[in-house]
Amino acid sequence: MATRLMFENSCEVGVFSKLTNAYCLVAIGGSESFYSTFEAELADVIPVVKTSIAGTRIIGRLCAGNKNGLILPHTTTDQELQHLRNTLPDQVVVQRVDERLSALGNCIACNDHVALTHTDLDRETEELIADVLGVEVFRQTIAGNILVGSYCAFSNRGGLVHPHTSIEDLDELSTLLQVPLVAGTVNRGSEVIAAGMTVNDWTAFCGADTTATELSVIESVFKLRDAQPTAIVDEMRKSLIDSYV
Amino acid sequence: MRLEKCWFCSSTIYPGHGIQFVRNDAKIFRFCRSKCHKNFKMKRNPRKVKWTKAYRRLHGKDMTQDSTFEFERKRNRPERYDRNIAENTLKAIKKIDKIRSDRAYDHIKNRLKTGKIQRQKQARKQLEQDIHLVKAPLALAQDSSLHLPKITVNVSQTWTEENQPMEE
Repeated sequence: MATRLMFENSCEVGVFSKLTNAYCLVAIGGSESFYSTFEAELADVIPVVKTSIAGTRIIGRLCAGNKNGLILPHTTTDQELQHLRNTLPDQVVVQRVDERLSALGNCIACNDHVALTHTDLDRETEELIADVLGVEVFRQTIAGNILVGSYCAFSNRGGLVHPHTSIEDLDELSTLLQVPLVAGTVNRGSEVIAAGMTVNDWTAFCGADTTATELSVIESVFKLRDAQPTAIVDEMRKSLIDSYV
Repeated sequence: MRLEKCWFCSSTIYPGHGIQFVRNDAKIFRFCRSKCHKNFKMKRNPRKVKWTKAYRRLHGKDMTQDSTFEFERKRNRPERYDRNIAENTLKAIKKIDKIRSDRAYDHIKNRLKTGKIQRQKQARKQLEQDIHLVKAPLALAQDSSLHLPKITVNVSQTWTEENQPMEE
């Protein structure tokens, strides 16, 4: 189910939040309504954590993560790192990386199996991503843009990319990621998909400016209409418990 | 809040002090005071500037390798907060700090030991040789406090048959 919301009069929901299958990070805003919307939707399924990164509120664009781990820039303070480690479940590995490109949310787009990264990312960082997030890493561009993390948003079930992506690019990315992809917009024609919305396997949050057409496209490509959150989380939990035994 | 190290002199930078410079390749240089900042702007290499920790470590003036250095490291993968561990860590920090500073002091003392011995030898030699610059030799001989009294020991050597093997 896709929800429309705003952060302090801004429709760029993906900038101020990070949503994965195992946790949700939310920025500390002036009013509690942003946090309450996430909490109302997700509280009984996954932990919703209020945090800042490097003292800023643009947490969605600074960090990259999936259900296996969370990668943070080197500007993250020790106290924030400790807060995240204390509030996130133990299966999620919290790691800070020393990387020249510190806006990791703009450089890395990932789901639980595959990650697309900025072409200029360090090799050590790439290895760290593969290690911490447990994904296969591909260096790619989307519609000629190297900031893959901002121009596409994908989950385990589908993906939305920059509207000017050519059909060949779309097919290539689709085979790489193994999910159906659609080129579309969010927030009344904004091309920066990942800044305008945030998504996981059963729910999505978009800016309040998103038109009904865009919303229906999102719901169909990410398969959100019939999604049952408890089923997905239980399945995930079962597979995690199996791995201990 | 994090206590950083000055890039130039390696001293700790406390809150409210110093300047941070961010280069175009996103490398951050932190300086504890304008002295270090100005030296950096002059493009001086801290490894060649005598009063910096980098120079002292490089030239063996200060302790370089010790197990106590392993404790103070920047860690990128945190552990869940545990009160007991935190308490023990705080106690350990004090102890480790004391051990490290004692070892560093010993290192410097050892380094300076040879110089100390040499200086003592030189002083003794100077006392024996150049004392005539201070007091005339006649006065020296008469003044009993300036030299050790000459003790004469009578050694009697008895001539016996067994003491002369080489004559044969």
